[in-house]
Amino acid sequence: MKRLPLEGIRVADLTMVWAGPFATKILAEMGAEVIKVESPQAWDLVRTLIPMPGVEEFWNCSYYFNDYNRDKKSVTLHLADPRGRELFLRLVERSDVVIENYRADVLDKLGLGYEVLRERKRDIILVSMAGFGKTGPEREYVGYGPIIEQMAGLASLTGYGDDGVPYKTGISYGDPVAGAAAAGAVALALIRRQRTGEGAFIDLAQREVMATLIGEAFVRASLRGEVPPHRGNRDERYAPQGVYRCFGEDRWVAISVRSDEEWRRLAQAIGRPDLASLTLPERKARHDELDRAIEAWTEQIRPQVAAQVLQAVGVPAAPVIDTEAIHDDPNLVAREFWVTLPHPRMKPWRQPRSPWRLAEANPTPRRHAPLFGEHNTEILGGLLGLSQEEIAELEAAGIVGRAPVDARPGG
Amino acid sequence: MSGGPLAGVRVLEIGGGIPAAFATRWMAGFGAEVVRSEGPPEALTEDEGIYLLAGKRRISVVEPTTLRRLALAADIVVEDRKPGTLAAWGMAPEDLRAEKPALVIVSITPFGQRGPYAGWEATNLTAFAAGGIHSLTGHPSRPPLQTGGSQALYLGGLHGFAAAITAYFGALVHGEGDWIDLAIQEIQAGMLELYGPRSEYEGGPSPRTGNHVRAVWGLYPCADGYAGVCALERQVPALFALVGDPALEEERFRDFTQRAEHDDELQAILYGWFADKTRAELLELGRKHKVPIGAVLTPLELLASEGLAERGFFDTVETNEGSARVPGRPFLGLPWVPGRWEAPGESTAAVLREWLGEEGVG
Repeated sequence: MKRLPLEGIRVADLTMVWAGPFATKILAEMGAEVIKVESPQAWDLVRTLIPMPGVEEFWNCSYYFNDYNRDKKSVTLHLADPRGRELFLRLVERSDVVIENYRADVLDKLGLGYEVLRERKRDIILVSMAGFGKTGPEREYVGYGPIIEQMAGLASLTGYGDDGVPYKTGISYGDPVAGAAAAGAVALALIRRQRTGEGAFIDLAQREVMATLIGEAFVRASLRGEVPPHRGNRDERYAPQGVYRCFGEDRWVAISVRSDEEWRRLAQAIGRPDLASLTLPERKARHDELDRAIEAWTEQIRPQVAAQVLQAVGVPAAPVIDTEAIHDDPNLVAREFWVTLPHPRMKPWRQPRSPWRLAEANPTPRRHAPLFGEHNTEILGGLLGLSQEEIAELEAAGIVGRAPVDARPGG
Repeated sequence: MSGGPLAGVRVLEIGGGIPAAFATRWMAGFGAEVVRSEGPPEALTEDEGIYLLAGKRRISVVEPTTLRRLALAADIVVEDRKPGTLAAWGMAPEDLRAEKPALVIVSITPFGQRGPYAGWEATNLTAFAAGGIHSLTGHPSRPPLQTGGSQALYLGGLHGFAAAITAYFGALVHGEGDWIDLAIQEIQAGMLELYGPRSEYEGGPSPRTGNHVRAVWGLYPCADGYAGVCALERQVPALFALVGDPALEEERFRDFTQRAEHDDELQAILYGWFADKTRAELLELGRKHKVPIGAVLTPLELLASEGLAERGFFDTVETNEGSARVPGRPFLGLPWVPGRWEAPGESTAAVLREWLGEEGVG
């Protein structure tokens, strides 16, 4: 069996919520041993974010938590207690990477800043992914994904165009974007360590990563002083382009026309050969009218059918796939993107595998997300060498736990 | 040669649009020698080219046999052509891998190398539509709305970078690279927050919620634009204290479950609270009271941001129109070198000489 790229790498994972866990999910999928460290007093709040009425141990029964924490191990340590902190530092001595997405000041306040970690492990790689970075006048701002998107310029570009209202993306978009970048940062730092023996302190500001995904808007702003207008679902180059209502409840198809030839074929396909000879400037000028002509056709059929008819004549089109239908999407099903893993407390459901499809190493999810403190004995006993008695003492003192203290739904 | 973590690493970008060009932009900044074999000119706008191609050596289209030799001289190959293109050029990824086991190849496409949509034509919009995020974005009474810019294509590039670098580390340690088939549809389908798993576990699609997932997780008009608040349960008391409306003391707002039933009322209170404050005032209140508050800033405003200036975020790229300022290093902590923008084909002869030991034209 071919080895995964990060086999042999151990990660001490302090991340919570979504951005950080998204990063360490990738590291785990790529073969790293990811040890998730939570405190009985301050656990990853995603465990308890969604109320699960009537479910015991609801912190172990979250599909949201599960899908971004698979293949990780869970150990609990109260880091604010000196004994918990010391045990974490002993874990650091045996780790390659430490990663955290606390607010910028928290890690230092816990007495676990880079210099402290480095004293215990000379070549440690620390990745901090605070929203606005560890330095600068904005470091104290608090922010989750939607705020990152606003502060990075992206929300200002999103809108229908007829009401001046900026829009948030329907997910906390800044989180998984920062997470993917953080996974890349870990690999870069490992490459350098491999070549030079040096560790690294990566200061990743989620807002900055987000801004790199709209680079051309900064070119435009800096060269011409322009702010791009809201363009709805349209494009500056292609016309017509849009999202068109289809047969059914809230069903839509996205269509883009990139050339005169594609337009001719689309006009034929929708039964409007009278429009087939329109040039790009004409199509732009009459965009609203053409949208109505296209929608008169799409309204009669399902999005999948509309997309297939247009793809058959080489016109870019795809259904707007909702969060339920995506689990049955023919392309994703054929590619075996969805996998079902057993979970000790939950009924089976289909979960995404890694989109990093290494053709030979073939990363495949191995195990459900860890129950809270599930690997306390393995990590504290096996890796750190504590005796059963010592672990029991730590449990009695509230430094190690098997359940969050006073957990309530809602995070 | 810079002292970046990828110094001495040779990368061939078979362009390509945004996905391949963005994936290799960070490689160039972190020290790799990136050679871009030009794609169709319409694949990038001029502004996209200024941002994405700085720091790369550009070669004009060479014979497929030469391109094949360049690929085998590289450590990493990144491409975003239609599935089957490399094979048609006599350089199928499997064959390149067999000839050079340490080689890392990343193919980025909207729908992947195999599957019923593999041959589909796509643009950023249609690729975004197929990934699930589009269905969640926009006002519930209006059509789904694409997020600004070209997010589907950039997501392909972002993951292309991270996956390539990870596989390259694997090649350094284990001696073997891999061929990575990245489908932009899968990247998106795997980042649907709680909405993806919820639909699968509980049934039913998640609706679009516009700018308000809930009152305390939304975007509001303010005195000079728009500002947002994202309060989780632990931050709600601090937010309520900040707003200071006595009604917020009541149990129907304090209690997590009851609050959901009075969300419209709470939104009305927050609309009122945001309305007379500027974005700067709101950001300062958020910082001071540790409440997650944000402001909708434009790229023009960010170029003038003191915070980003202090952190040295922007690079300068010299263009025919003047100096463009663009997002630079994605994170601090590893040496980054801003790149110079080359004209198309500027390095053809030099690259053929240095990589293949050839004189003359390609």
